[in-house]
Amino acid sequence: MPTRPERYPANRLFVLLATAFALLFAFLVVVLAIDQERVRDLSESLQQQTVPKIIRFQRLARNVDQLRQEGERIFSSDTPEDRQQSLYLVMLIASHPSILEHSQAATAARDTESFLAETGRLAAQDPATLRIQYGEWQQLSRRLSLLVDDVLIEGANLATADLEGAAAAMRLTRYKLMGATALLGGFLLALMILLRRHLLRPLEKVDRALSSLSVDRPAPEFPDGSLAEIHAIEEATKHLHEAMVSHDAARRELQLLANRDDLTGLMNRRHFMESATTELRRAQRYGRSTVVALGDLDFFKSLNDTYGHGAGDTVLRTFAGLLTESLRQSDLVCRYGGEEFAFLFPESTVEQAHILVERFRARCAGHEIQLPDGLVVRVTLSIGLADASDCTIDLALQRADLALYEAKRMGRNRVVVATEAA
Amino acid sequence: MMPSMRSFLLVAALWSGALPAADLRVAVLVQDAAQVSLRGDLVPSSTPGADLVAFTDELAHEICRRIRSRCAFSYVTFGEILPGVEDGSFDLGFGNFLRAPKREKRVAFGEPIFRSASRLVASPATARAFAGKLGQAVTLDNLRGARVAAMEGSKQQEFLDAIAAERELSVVATATTAGAFDALRNGRVDFALLPIRTGYALISHDKSRRFGFVGPAVADHGLGDTVHIILPRQKEALRRSVNQAIAEIRADGTGHRIMRRHFPVILD
Repeated sequence: MPTRPERYPANRLFVLLATAFALLFAFLVVVLAIDQERVRDLSESLQQQTVPKIIRFQRLARNVDQLRQEGERIFSSDTPEDRQQSLYLVMLIASHPSILEHSQAATAARDTESFLAETGRLAAQDPATLRIQYGEWQQLSRRLSLLVDDVLIEGANLATADLEGAAAAMRLTRYKLMGATALLGGFLLALMILLRRHLLRPLEKVDRALSSLSVDRPAPEFPDGSLAEIHAIEEATKHLHEAMVSHDAARRELQLLANRDDLTGLMNRRHFMESATTELRRAQRYGRSTVVALGDLDFFKSLNDTYGHGAGDTVLRTFAGLLTESLRQSDLVCRYGGEEFAFLFPESTVEQAHILVERFRARCAGHEIQLPDGLVVRVTLSIGLADASDCTIDLALQRADLALYEAKRMGRNRVVVATEAA
Repeated sequence: MMPSMRSFLLVAALWSGALPAADLRVAVLVQDAAQVSLRGDLVPSSTPGADLVAFTDELAHEICRRIRSRCAFSYVTFGEILPGVEDGSFDLGFGNFLRAPKREKRVAFGEPIFRSASRLVASPATARAFAGKLGQAVTLDNLRGARVAAMEGSKQQEFLDAIAAERELSVVATATTAGAFDALRNGRVDFALLPIRTGYALISHDKSRRFGFVGPAVADHGLGDTVHIILPRQKEALRRSVNQAIAEIRADGTGHRIMRRHFPVILD
């Protein structure tokens, strides 16, 4: 037993997909928000912490440079008072917390202050000492200059590190954003593919099937779908086709019943007249020869009277069976009324039809019919033939009737061809 | 005055934002007893620490202008400022206060205006004499058996009081920094422990040229850090306005210009 494929209700499936999409979207939003927060934190850190630190380094560099400048001033001053004032400033600058908290600067400032204080003390005794001390001061001054550069670079590096961190965070955010976009795009693409595969294409197939739904075509076939609703529509389409076929069969059956004679199963007179009229018009339009005939079972009334109507019915049914076997498929024959039968032979000349009906008449005359009570009878047939190539069906039948009358008059069990004059 | 002129002046005043939002009582630190109650710009330049007073006074005026307040200035000694701010006598105290937990319980602090440290001041002769006794150069960490002056209520005095017994120090508290320096000049003390900026202002203007900084500057033990304006704890809106003003004068260079007018170097 084949396993029934699992199917999902479309509404639940789409709710599930929508929820998955919403969750995915929310997740991505949260991830990006976290990244954005990180970038914000970094820029805030840059603004609140790093920039003040950089400013501190710049101030420290400025203070160290001022220290160096005041030292220079001590050597370039002309008076002891000026040297003393510069020395006081050196002391003040060397005491500033910005210098004290930077170990290199603090050491350099201490060395500078003590060197300059000693120089000032010696210069107060002998100004010529300044020249002697100046060489050493230049080394110290260079050390201070280098320290200024180092401090400025140290400060600048703080910004570089922070900016690199911020740039890395923004780069990461960009990658994540691209990834998120790709993920969302992929999700939407997958959703579209799923929609097309499980909803739109099955609906298109159902639409095509409905458009071409016909009793002349086989029942539509659908691949097993995943969606319960689509499957229901497909099944409904199949049921619709089955109903159409069933209704068509019923219609045909009804039509058959309406066109047939109940007893013999041959065409009834009404259907014969419709079909014969149509056939005759077609033949006359194309100039083809057509022949009609009327046949009547000889002495049928006395057979009925002698053996009963049941025997008569049996004879009629047997006779109809012989007719069906003997005539061509294209020939039309009907029970015209009582024991009388009408024929139409398309594509036949009078001579050809005459041969055909003569052969049948002979066969009929020689055919034994077993009645229900076991008796065996034979019946003969009188036939009137008339050419219908250039007249209406009614006129042709009227001529055939006259010929039939003539066959009866001439002793029955024979075929008489109607003349033009008749 | 004609009505139209009055209207014009009113509109002009409104436009310039010159209308005071509030009246503030502002305490400005003086460095010498002779400067008490004098307006900052009237302090004789010959008095000790006149540059510092002028700097503080100009800074106070600039802050008042920035916060659009009409300020009434009082020029007082250090010891009066913090209690005055605490009890609401003053709305702003410009006393170059170092931040300290005990003080923060009493008053609020504005954003830093500059940084400071402390350093001993003495004559080189005294420093050499004590170095001889101690067997090493004098520093605040090894100072022992000395008479030391500091301004009353300052962190310097608080520190000296804390170590006085252990170090056998005799602490002399003075109302002003100039008083501490006077004690040094008069020989009543061997050392004065002063904020570096004040110490510089006093020794650089001392005509005798007998004093100088001794030992390294100290920024730990609460003797150095950022220097602040103080204000009543409950005046949070005022604190925010003052902080905004400090940020502005730092950002537009006004702070440096004021400092430059009163000091030969910018040290913030």
